[in-house]
Amino acid sequence: MRGNGTRRPVAATLAVLGYIIMIVPILFVVATAFSAGRTLRFPPEGFSLQWFEAAVTYDPFMESLVSSLYLAIGATALALLLGVPATIAIHRGRIPGRGLLEGLFLSPLIVPELVVGLALYQQLMIGLGLDNLTTLLLGHTALLLPYAVRVTGASLALADPAVEEAARGLGASPVRAFLTVTLPLLRPGIFSAGLLGFVTSFNNVPLSLLLQDREFRTLPVTMLDYVQQSYNPRIAAMATLILAATVVIAVIAERTVGFAKIFGGINR
Amino acid sequence: MSTAAAFVGVTQRFGDFTAVDAIDLEIPEGKLTTLLGPSGCGKTTSLRMLAGYSQPTSGTITIHGVDSTRLPPEKRGLGMVFQSYALFPHMTVAENVAYGLKIRKVGKKETNQRVADTLDLVGLGHLSASKPKKLSGGQQQRVALARAIAIQPRLLLLDEPLSNLDARLRVQMRAEIRRIQSETGLTVVLVTHDQDEALEMSDLMVLMKSGRIMQSGAPREVFSQPANRFVADFLGYENFFTDKSGIFRTIRPEYLSLGGDKTGERLEATVVSTAYRGVDLLVTLEAVDGAGQTVRLIADVRNAAAIEPGQKTTVTADPAHLVPLENSGKE
Repeated sequence: MRGNGTRRPVAATLAVLGYIIMIVPILFVVATAFSAGRTLRFPPEGFSLQWFEAAVTYDPFMESLVSSLYLAIGATALALLLGVPATIAIHRGRIPGRGLLEGLFLSPLIVPELVVGLALYQQLMIGLGLDNLTTLLLGHTALLLPYAVRVTGASLALADPAVEEAARGLGASPVRAFLTVTLPLLRPGIFSAGLLGFVTSFNNVPLSLLLQDREFRTLPVTMLDYVQQSYNPRIAAMATLILAATVVIAVIAERTVGFAKIFGGINR
Repeated sequence: MSTAAAFVGVTQRFGDFTAVDAIDLEIPEGKLTTLLGPSGCGKTTSLRMLAGYSQPTSGTITIHGVDSTRLPPEKRGLGMVFQSYALFPHMTVAENVAYGLKIRKVGKKETNQRVADTLDLVGLGHLSASKPKKLSGGQQQRVALARAIAIQPRLLLLDEPLSNLDARLRVQMRAEIRRIQSETGLTVVLVTHDQDEALEMSDLMVLMKSGRIMQSGAPREVFSQPANRFVADFLGYENFFTDKSGIFRTIRPEYLSLGGDKTGERLEATVVSTAYRGVDLLVTLEAVDGAGQTVRLIADVRNAAAIEPGQKTTVTADPAHLVPLENSGKE
């Protein structure tokens, strides 16, 4: 949607329509979170912050929030640790069949998550007897690998390979050239891969649904369970809190790196 | 004259493609050598082998008499300027220039001094705190040059350094690079596809084609005595013919004239077309005798009105500028 709105009326209309479709339902949720009433209903009955208090003091939400953060951070870190070196090998190394290799790393995007979840359940939990947390961590890591590989790969493809050669020519060993030149150039790509990975893991339902147990539950699944049983604004308050946290993260990301730079890495 | 670097029987193959074919070349110390040729002639591949970014399939490269064929780039101590400049975008101009000095563990005080001196040499002292992105193409080019010079390289290698600049700046930078070369006394190897650039800048000019060296020598020598048709063609010779004694010769359009008043080789021809070029007039003619050879010459613009297509005339060649070529066959 880059470009001049007045000159492209169709594109501009579609953009506005898209934003309305995405944002309006969110506004309804936010509005109901401030309700003074007892049911999830619009318009809200009165104004109060009681449901926010109810949300943050509700143990299942808070416990699963910690679990979700723990899982998302762990899986993102693992995926970057595996994915970034793999990308560099794929793009800069002389590996036969690199297209195939990249395809392999991207495949978790295509295979339905329920299938992946079931496979992990059968192989890792039943087969190898791993606990829920380890299996979930591995499952989420696999899920995030495509982001780590694709997004850092795209920013690597944009970087001029001569820059690394220039560093070598000036006397830098291959390791030093990588650490002082290539890695800093990849930083926005790695940052955006991490951000996307974190959000993907944090929001994930299918894998978590299949692989969790009573002790370890993630927030989205807990919230899903909650709406099935009770229909009050506590869930809206929790959703609003997550939304607020996301906005804060987005603002920090924009201020520190800039969206153009972060997501510029995605479009090759 | 001592030799800074030498190629001995150097070949580079990529699969079935032979990029550089058994070349022998000596780079003279303290001089500016250009590798000149059309794209795909192997000039950049040769430079990259000299820099250590690729290794020859066979042959030896020596730098200051030491076999350096398998040495990685960081062990060669050469300065390289890339066509894309390849500046470090996350560092300031000064940090770019200091990069090689930091690796050499030069002290902070000396580093600052040398960075400042080098930036002054290229006329960018006032931009040391800027990021490369803020600079114009010409300025980025100077930073790349400064970064390569700051490490006091044994050789300075320039890969098409001027090809991304606009025409006016390109001509300016030729003199600029020449000045820097003579001030520093550096041995420079420059890759280019622009014969004007090579003629103007080189001490030694090496013309390449299909991975082979076609001719090398001082610009004056190569220009006035091209060895073969390829070199002559590349340097702008246009008229190729076999004279009465059976020798294959060529002459530049500038040295042919209309009218039969001068002594020299003559040819009866018909004017085919004329092209006005501001400073002169390019006239295309066709020989009257059976072969129908095309002849091009450059005429005085003031005569433009007198020259018309269809007109029969005599073309005279200045015998001093007739150049014999070694091969008569077409390339």
